[in-house]
Amino acid sequence: MKTLLQAHATLHALFLIGICIALMVVDHRFQHLEVVRSNISLALSPLRYIVSLPVTAGDWVSDWFTSHTELLDENEALKAEGRILNARLQKLEILVEENARLRNLLGSSRKIADDVIVAELLSVNQNPYRQLIEINKGSGDGVEIGHAVIDDFGIMGQVIHVNPQSATTILISDPEHAVPVQFVRSGTRSVAFGRGTTNQLELRYLPATADIMIDDDLVTSGLGGRFPADYPVAKVTAIVEDRVHGFVTVFAEPKARLDSSREVLVIKPR
Amino acid sequence: MSKLRDLVIYLCLVVALVLMILPLPEWVQIYRPNFVTLVLIYWSMALPKRVGLWFAFFTGIILDTSQGTLLGQHTLALIIVVFINLNFYQRIRVLELPQQAIYVFVLLLINQVVIAWVEGIMGRPTPLLAFFGAPFIGMLIWPWVFVVLRDIRRKAIL
Repeated sequence: MKTLLQAHATLHALFLIGICIALMVVDHRFQHLEVVRSNISLALSPLRYIVSLPVTAGDWVSDWFTSHTELLDENEALKAEGRILNARLQKLEILVEENARLRNLLGSSRKIADDVIVAELLSVNQNPYRQLIEINKGSGDGVEIGHAVIDDFGIMGQVIHVNPQSATTILISDPEHAVPVQFVRSGTRSVAFGRGTTNQLELRYLPATADIMIDDDLVTSGLGGRFPADYPVAKVTAIVEDRVHGFVTVFAEPKARLDSSREVLVIKPR
Repeated sequence: MSKLRDLVIYLCLVVALVLMILPLPEWVQIYRPNFVTLVLIYWSMALPKRVGLWFAFFTGIILDTSQGTLLGQHTLALIIVVFINLNFYQRIRVLELPQQAIYVFVLLLINQVVIAWVEGIMGRPTPLLAFFGAPFIGMLIWPWVFVVLRDIRRKAIL
């Protein structure tokens, strides 16, 4: 009887292991399990709120105890900044209008402004092999798979899973992510790959003759259709020459604060 | 009544899950022991009739979703760990805590091997420190996990 039970348990385990392997293959190759994933994610969302509670409470308490004079100082500084920004904005508006006029003249249909959704970081995925973050806006707010996510400094990543109330975003530093970029100064196009650390991107196989210098700025090229064009991506930090193959590898530091931004914008392409 | 008792097991797993999601600095991250595996090892050792392979399966699916890994990756690891545990629990239950901890270390390593193996198939090698770090810390905290969960079990008269 006992051996029978044990044989039974073994069969049972083998059966479940088979299911697991099938699940993994299906999940890796196809999109069918996305529904299951998003439903379980929805059920787990209270947990994510519990986890982010200490941070939220800490922010609230520190806001509460910010002194009056500090607030006045901050207010003053913000007003000054506002004035400067307004002055710049006036100039910008003129430029935008001029740009639109010129583009109309040229018959180009490229868009100038994009629609955005403001979102907040819910949690950072703890899997050390991936660079994923969870944001608090989902399909209910109009977020879709493939939308670009930026912070106030540059491109952060793109949406890969959407749940009703949240969305998973892959950062540009994920080893499985690549973003099409262009050098601002020289116009050279390339692709920036993630390396699994938040402070470095890699541009492989650039021609040795390409005009690249340290501190060159990289922006999205808009090729590939995922990211809108001309958003800042990174700044060149190192150039490594491969004399044998005649290629140059460029390392660049992302402009976006991948590891510290809490407020992000999701860009909806029009 | 038995439903209420089961609730205690679920609550322990929820706490373990929260500990797994909790954001930590990057350099501590790789030393985070797999709390869900630890809790599941305890319950399948204490109540092997109730916490079995199916329990491991559903826990694993939830863990996979919350970790953003492939559906089935942690599940496979948990099922194998619980299966081994179900075969040995009678011998392990009577051991001293330090000896138990070594057994738990082996189980956590097996858990890690399965996860690293799947990651490897997808072309993401696991760094050596991350591989041994988490099970080692898991082994060190096992006595506390054991004592806490045993007290909870006794209070709940499971």
